[in-house]
Parts: sequence; structure tokens; C-alpha cells
Amino acid sequence: MSSEAIATSRDWVLGAECEYRFELDQGTSLAIKLTQGQAEIFGAELVEGKTYIFYEECKAAVYTWQGCTIQIRQPSTEYVSEETPMTAYANLHIAFEAMRVRALDRANGNMHASDTEDTEPPRVLILGPENSGKTSIAKILVNYATRAGQNWSPTLINVNPGEGGCILPGTISAASVTTPLQTSTPAHTLGSSATSAPAHMSSNALVPLAYWYGHADTKRNPLLLDRLIRNLGENVWEKLADDTQGRVSGCIIDTPSSFAAGSGNSEQHRQSLIKACVDAFRINVILVVGHEKLNVEMQRTYGTRMAVVKIPKSGGVVELDGPYRARVRRRQMQAYFYGERFAPPPGMPALASALAAAGYLIGGEPPADFTLAPASSVIGFGDLAIWRIGEETMAPVSALPIGATRVVSEMQPLAVDPGAPSAGMHGAVLALLADPHPDETERYDEEVLDLHVVGFVVITAVDVPNRRMTVLAPGQGSLTGRTAVVGSFEWQE
Amino acid sequence: MATYPQSQAYGHMSYPAQAYPPQSYPPPNYYQPPPPPQHVYYADPNHFRRDYFARLAELTVNSRPIIQGLSMTAQEYARYADIVVNCIEQHIRRVPPWMKLPAFYLLDAISKNVFDPYARHFIPIVVRLFLDTYEQVDQSTRSKMEEMLLTWRTGAPTGRELFGPIPQVAIERQIWGGESTQPAISTAQVLSELEFVLGTKQRILQTNPYDKQTQNHVNVLFQLKKLVQAGVSQAELSQILTQLRTLAPAPAAPPVPPVVPVHHDSQALYQSSVSVPPPSVPQSAAYPSSYPQPSYGNPSYPAVKLEAAPQPVLPASSAAVGPSSAPAIPVNISSLFSSLVKSGVLSSSSTPQGAGNITDNKESAPAVDASQDYRSYILSLGIRLTSVDIVKQRSPITKLLYDNLSNQCKQCGIRFSGDAAGKKKLEGHLDMHFNQNRKASQAAARGYSRNWLVGIEDWLHDGAVGSNGKGRIDGSRPKALAAEVAQRDAELRATFVVVPPGDEAKLISCPICKETLKSEFMEDDEEWVWRNAVKRDDRIYHATCHAEAMSSKSNLAVRLRSEISGSRSRSRTPEVSRTPPRALGLHHEDAKTRLSRSPPGSPAKTVGTKRKAEDDEATQKSEGREATPPTKKVALSS
Repeated sequence: MSSEAIATSRDWVLGAECEYRFELDQGTSLAIKLTQGQAEIFGAELVEGKTYIFYEECKAAVYTWQGCTIQIRQPSTEYVSEETPMTAYANLHIAFEAMRVRALDRANGNMHASDTEDTEPPRVLILGPENSGKTSIAKILVNYATRAGQNWSPTLINVNPGEGGCILPGTISAASVTTPLQTSTPAHTLGSSATSAPAHMSSNALVPLAYWYGHADTKRNPLLLDRLIRNLGENVWEKLADDTQGRVSGCIIDTPSSFAAGSGNSEQHRQSLIKACVDAFRINVILVVGHEKLNVEMQRTYGTRMAVVKIPKSGGVVELDGPYRARVRRRQMQAYFYGERFAPPPGMPALASALAAAGYLIGGEPPADFTLAPASSVIGFGDLAIWRIGEETMAPVSALPIGATRVVSEMQPLAVDPGAPSAGMHGAVLALLADPHPDETERYDEEVLDLHVVGFVVITAVDVPNRRMTVLAPGQGSLTGRTAVVGSFEWQE
Repeated sequence: MATYPQSQAYGHMSYPAQAYPPQSYPPPNYYQPPPPPQHVYYADPNHFRRDYFARLAELTVNSRPIIQGLSMTAQEYARYADIVVNCIEQHIRRVPPWMKLPAFYLLDAISKNVFDPYARHFIPIVVRLFLDTYEQVDQSTRSKMEEMLLTWRTGAPTGRELFGPIPQVAIERQIWGGESTQPAISTAQVLSELEFVLGTKQRILQTNPYDKQTQNHVNVLFQLKKLVQAGVSQAELSQILTQLRTLAPAPAAPPVPPVVPVHHDSQALYQSSVSVPPPSVPQSAAYPSSYPQPSYGNPSYPAVKLEAAPQPVLPASSAAVGPSSAPAIPVNISSLFSSLVKSGVLSSSSTPQGAGNITDNKESAPAVDASQDYRSYILSLGIRLTSVDIVKQRSPITKLLYDNLSNQCKQCGIRFSGDAAGKKKLEGHLDMHFNQNRKASQAAARGYSRNWLVGIEDWLHDGAVGSNGKGRIDGSRPKALAAEVAQRDAELRATFVVVPPGDEAKLISCPICKETLKSEFMEDDEEWVWRNAVKRDDRIYHATCHAEAMSSKSNLAVRLRSEISGSRSRSRTPEVSRTPPRALGLHHEDAKTRLSRSPPGSPAKTVGTKRKAEDDEATQKSEGREATPPTKKVALSS
């Protein structure tokens, strides 16, 4: 190591059950090396001696149960906290482990006479207001389950279309997780979907089932979201029916903050969406993060049927504003097509020259080529069937004149002509859907709502006179004859 | 899996204890991998040299984790190849004889697995180093070095000599006295001698059907014959020949009382009832035992290739009595060897302790116990799911997440239990890292892209498998599933097609994998059969290949089935394979499934080790899809 590099690094000695928190500004990156002891980031353990790189406004925390020393290079904001809710989260994990081992026992047919308890595995809905750390809690709980050494493969479900989960914003998705989810960038908070590059952590090559809602805001089309949640739930159940280990490992469901508080009309939607989740995923535990009123409400509604547990909120949660979330979404879309672009902090060897170096880990992966090569192709308007669900700008039903009904229902798929002056297809992010039912007689009008996502494409240019458009796709392959649905996301280079 | 012996196989075990104080090499059972190598970025070659040399010093016993760690580092620092090579040479020359072999295994592992640039860096030094070491070490180490040398003949990724023909011949000529320049022993010659001995033994057996020793000999000889037919190296041929010649004049076993129960494993009985001592074998050069097993999941390792039978199969008449249970799974030389020893064909005194013999079958029971222990422990903690309990209780979480899982991967931090099962899992896990690293280095230039997400059918029934053929990356498939897959695989491998009369010697290759189908004699039915074979549409396929092809496009298959179900019965309809236009006519469905299952440039397809995983995957998926017609993959290859 050169002396220059040492000059910019700093050692932190953390006591037991302390947390080192950092926040990165735009365009900066951070390197953390565990030099002694044991430490974890959102439940994923760090390896001693490896240099972990964080970038793109990542905000995270290194927690240690037994104390450790870490070497840090150049964070934007950093501090150490001795007060964390980790003990509570650990207790939750142990309580869930108890449910899992009982469920496994029953699945294996070993009923113990002494067991009169419930033998359902934990299926956990995490609710909480904005900036309460729901996603981080989901991550910690999933990671602890994968680290139990019992071959658990919990299903992580994201029903927050504002966050992309392991793929793109605008989707809700479910994926089975077998190795701890890594942290390196906010673009991949809950793991990353598979690429053709070899991955060392299966959490970096997740195979999710996803449905396209198309918007970041749950209030935009709650009926559609409700339907997609139920579709996802049905498939998750069908999958788990075949997979004992996955079934007894349970599910962890991350939700949007709009589930926690609402007013007026959205209040009704909020409750129906919670109910959709509870029904679809057969929730038996509701965790309410730091919200008394919501806790009481959930106790009242569901307390008789399942455990409703209020859990403490971490003091380290960063207040994230709208522009930040928008930037994260943009990066998620870019990362989907182009992979990762970042540089290690100044003073450290550049990634290009350090490809062979042993020290670096990015999201748990040794440095390799993280860039992806998408494919751009020109296709005719007619080659791709593009749909929009409901009207593009739709006033809520309550805002319509009294007695008026909607001409177009919120759930009606409308064919989009990219050439139409008002289509606004330039820069639109489309979800490519699975093919409709092969049997014509089995098809129905709203089938587009029930097809899952196979990938995403972006229309980067529209040539109206020639009725052709340029489409950016993640890889090679014909798009002709495919079905795509547009949402409200726009592509920005 | 374990190529490098972990416990029994330490080359130094035969050394007198007083010569080497026990503390210098702790007993194998208590051997723990050394503290994690400090993974730091070495900007300075001297720093790297110092550190690599220091880590080499830890390689005092044949420890797989250390060898793997060192060869991974070598791979990562290929630009410092000269330093690595230099360090290893210095190390081998410096250490006492009993420590040399593990370092040679490291040299071997790096050269084979990383190959470029290491093999060529080793070329200038390897001859001298090998021969100097060979002179200094004891007999058992020598035989292991010879085993290793044999694997170097085909150790390069191209199947050629690992360090080129000149160094290879130079070493072989030195240690075997110019054997390799002598006219080669032909496979035919060995086979003919084999047949002779076999015939003699069979006649003995006919006169005395209860002679268990001879029966054993016959069984072993049959296996040996298959092995020779499959193709073995020169040195092995000469070994077999030597042993055959000692066996040939062996006196006929005396009659055994007819009350002996026909039970194959009654070893004690057999030993007490046989009065003639087994023929002894001269202490010649060691028998090449199990060294060339696939290690690190590396497909380029010269595993014994049973599929490729260079010799036409002998007519059925020569094999009136076959082994009652012909093994369908490839026999490696080590298991054959041990059965030779067991049956008295060989004396065990010349046995080189083969590497990789430490697999224990007692694993499932402790695993169940361990999960029961975990269960009781978790339940004993009694943490209730209430807001109060969650906040008030203090739980032994560190014990669960860290202390009880002491086998940690130094690459990614994943932990496994501290017991033997955990250690084994860690080994499998390290293999995964090694493979992924190798893939990354091989495929770097090709460029990657995001995969399409899998179709609903694949997700529902196969979600544990990645869309580009990756299994669960840490290999921790649920046990039940794995068992099911294994069973399914075994069933597939057990399927056979009877060889039409007169076709016994015909070479038939599977249209999918292009490898030769091996025929063998089934004693029960007294017929020659192709194992692991299915007949579809007048063509013979490997059952496993066929199942894979059938299910690799399950969506397409399902769709095809639903399309044709109207007009045709759902029987296994081979006609479909003659109508590729139908399959091609399925517009983009094919393109999509192809993309989602094997994206362009996916390294998975090109790597041989993946084959097995895909087999598993395929067999798993083919459950319940018996009636799916052959898909396009089959159709195109017709």
C-alpha cells in the first residue's frame, strides 16, 4: 500500500453492538475494510481483509455484535451510534426461526406431542411510514435467515413499486433468496437480477417473478396494484407448494410507506391494499415499524388472527427526499441495461488496473467487468404490441362530477400507437410481458394485466414518418410479436 | 469431491515420529485451516512476494483449503506469475522432503486450473524440480508424484501435455528408465491377456460356482476389462499387465463347502474359508490410483473417460458370466483398485494411499442430528413474538450467526457449521468460487448482458435454478429436492436399450452430446445393452441427454403439446422430431426461451461441469412431463 493511500484512510474501533453509519454524496465512493473482529451490513457479514466499495449516494451502516475495527476511506458523512434496534431485530429473527423449525418438523411429519403451537412458517408483512427503515429490516431478516446454516431460502417480496426490489421500479416482485443480500449501491438494495456474468453470490443473480404496475405511486392505480398483488400471491403459493424448504423458510414482504398512512379516499385504498397483501401472501405476522397509531389500527383489524408486533425504528434512518428517490430510480434503470459504473475512492488503485487484485469486493463480488452490453434495434411500430393500462392521466373517481362515470376504466388495457401525436413514447420505459395464452379461446380482454414481466425495454427514438422506432433491450433477441406495457417511467441517459 | 487427501493421505505419515516432532504437524483430525490470508491489494511486487512466500510456508500438510487459497491468489495475480512460480520453486527446494508433495500439488493445481500463463512459466523449471524432488522423497511420495506426472500427460486444456511433450518425456524417461521410448503396450495386448485370465477364472468358477474368491476375481476382471476398453494410460496398461501376469498362474482356489451362503459382502467368511493366500504383487512402480479425479470441478482434468470406448466391444460369447450388478456409474481406478485389493487380486502392501478416498457416507445421520439440535436450541430460547418480548429479551444471536458456524468462506463471508458436514459444504462452496472465477477470466472478453426473466413455468417449478443454468450458487439445494433429482437421475441412467443382435461391436454415438454409447452385458437378461440410453424415432440417445433436451425448452414443449393435442394423441410422439418447421413456426417463443435459458455468451454452456448441473435441472424438470415430445434441439440434431 502506498503511503498516500494510508494518509486518506481512517480506522474506527467499534465497541460491541455499535454501528458505524455513513452517507455518500453524489459522485463519491467509499471503501471499508474490516481489519479485526466481526461486522455486518444490514445482516450480511463482511469478510476480514476485503475492501468493500460503496457508491452512488449509498447510505448504510456497519454493525458489530462483538466489536471490530474497520478502515474507512472518505465518506461524506459518518458517525458511530451505540443505540440501535438490532437486539430487537435479532429477537425477531429467533422468533421466526422457531416458527421455521416447527414448520419444517411438520413438513417432515415429525409432530411432537408437546407442540400445541402454530406450525405455520413466518410470513411477515412489514409496515411503516416513510423513512422508517422497512426495506433495511426486510433485508436484515432475510439475511439472518439465509445465515442460519439451515439451508433456508426465504422468499423476499417487494410490493413497493416506488422501489425496484431486485429489478426496476414500477414492479412488484418475489424472489427466493439463499445467500445474504449485499449492499453497495441504492440501485440494488434487495439484490440484483441475474446477468450472464458469473456471480459468486446468488443474491446478485436473483430470479424474480415480477408484475408491472408502471408507476412509482401506489395511489395512481390502486385497483391495478391490488390485482397484481393477488396475482403475485397466487404464483408464490403455487411455487412454494412444490418447495418444502422454501415454504418453511417463510416470506418477508416489504411495503410502500403509503400503506402506513392515508387520508380520505386513499385511506380506503390503503386498507384494501393491506388486505390484499394479507390475503395473497397469507400473512401471519405484521410488523409495524415505529408507528403507534398504525400499530393500534393493525391490532384492531388483524390482532385476533395473527401476531401484530410493534418494532423500534432505527435512529440511523436517513430522511430521503423525493429528488433522491428519483435519482435512485434513474440509476436502477441504467444499471438494468448498462450494469455498474463507479470508481473506488481517490487514493486507491483504480478499478481498471486492479481487476486482478484480491482486495476489492463490490456487492460481495470480486472485481470483474460489471458493465453490461444492451442491444439497440430498430423495429416497426407494428412489431411490438404496446398497451397502456387505463388512461394516462386519470382523475380519481371522486374528482369526477357527481353522477359521471369514467369512460375508460382504470383497469382497461388500451392499445398505444407510438406514432400518435399524444403517445409520448419517446424515452418511455416499457415492460415486456410474457406471451398471452397460446390458445385463442382462452384469451380475455384484460389478460395483459395478468401477464408477468420478462424484461424491460426503452424506446429511445421514434421515427413517425417511417413508422419505426429504436428500442433499447437488455440483450439480443427479437422483439417482434411481443407484448409490452408502458407506465409512467421515463428513461434519462 | 476432495481431490487432495485431507487426513489419511499425508505423505509424511510413514515417517518416524521422533524424526519430526509431532507438534510440527498436528493430527489431521484437529487440523484447522490457518487464519484467513490477508486479502490486500498488492501494488508492490515485493510485498506480494513476501506475503505469498509466507502463505506457502503454511502449506505443511496436504490441505485443500490452503492449496485452493494459494491457487486462487495465483489466478488473481496472474501478472505476478513469475513471482508465484519463483516462490513455489524456492519453497519446494527449501522445505524438508515430507513437505514437498503438498507444494507440488499446488504447482499442479495452478498449472492445470489457471494454465495460462502459469504452465509456461513452470516449463523451464519443472523438469529439474520434479526430478530433484523425486530423488529426495520416500517411496510412497514418489508414487504419488508418479500419479501426478501421469495426469500431466493430458493436463493441458487442449488435452495435451501440461508442460509440453519435451519436459514430460524428459521426466518420464528419468524416473521410468526410458519406458516412454519403448514400443507402447497396446490396448489389444492387454485385453487379450485379460481375456485369457478371465477365461481361466471362469472355467474355475464353472466347476465350482461357490468359489467366492474366484467370483470376486471375475467381477474385478470384468471391471478391469471395461476400464481398459474405455482407454487408460500407458503406465496403467503396463501396471495391469504386470498384475495380470502375477494372477495368471495363480492356483485354482480349493473347493469351498457348498453351505457357504451366497452373499457378496461376507468378507470375514471368505477370508476364513480360503486357504490359499492371495497372490502377491511385486513392489514395482505404484499403481496409478485415484489421483486423476476431477478436482475443483474442473472439466479439463483428465478424469477416466469411460464414455469414450476406443475398442469395439467384444462379442457376447466371451462373457458368459458377468458381474451381477454392473455398475452404471463410472468406475474410477481407485475403486477398482480397492476392490482388487479386497478381493485379493492385489496385495495392499503396495497401495499408494490414494487421494480423495475420504468420503464418508455417514453424513446424513449427523446432519439430521444437527438440525434437531438446532431445533431444540431455538425452541429453548422461548422468545415470543410480542412487542414486549422483542424489545426486552437478550438473545444469544452471536452464537447462532457466528460462533456455531465456524467454517467461514474467506472469499464472501458465508459461514457453515463447524463440524465435518460444514467443512464439506465449505469445500463445495469454494469449488463454486473457483469455477466462477475461472469463468469470469475465460469469458471476460465476451461481454455480459442482463438476462430476461424466466417464464412462469420455470419460475414456479424451477425457481431455485438461475435462468442461465446456474444452480443455487452455493449448491445448497433443498435436501428433498436433491434426493428426488438424484433418484430421477439414477432412474434415467438405469434405463437401457437392448443392442440388436450383431450390432454389439457397432459404435453408436448419442446425437445430442456426440459421445459414444457404451454397451455392456446384462447378466440377468443375458443380453448386451446400451446403458443410460433411450430409443426415440429409431435413434439411440443418452437418456440423460434426451431428458435434458426434452425439458430445456419446457415452455416450448408444453406449448407444442397443447398445440398438437387436438389432432394427435399425447403418446410419446416421435413424429414431432421430423417436423422442425412446426417447431420453428412458433414465432418468437423459441427465441425467448432460448434467451431466458441461455443468454448469448453465457459461459455456462461451454463448461463441462455445468453439464451435470443441467442434467439435474433437466431431470428435475422432466418430472411429470413424460409425454412431452422431443423438442427442437432434438429435431435439429436429427
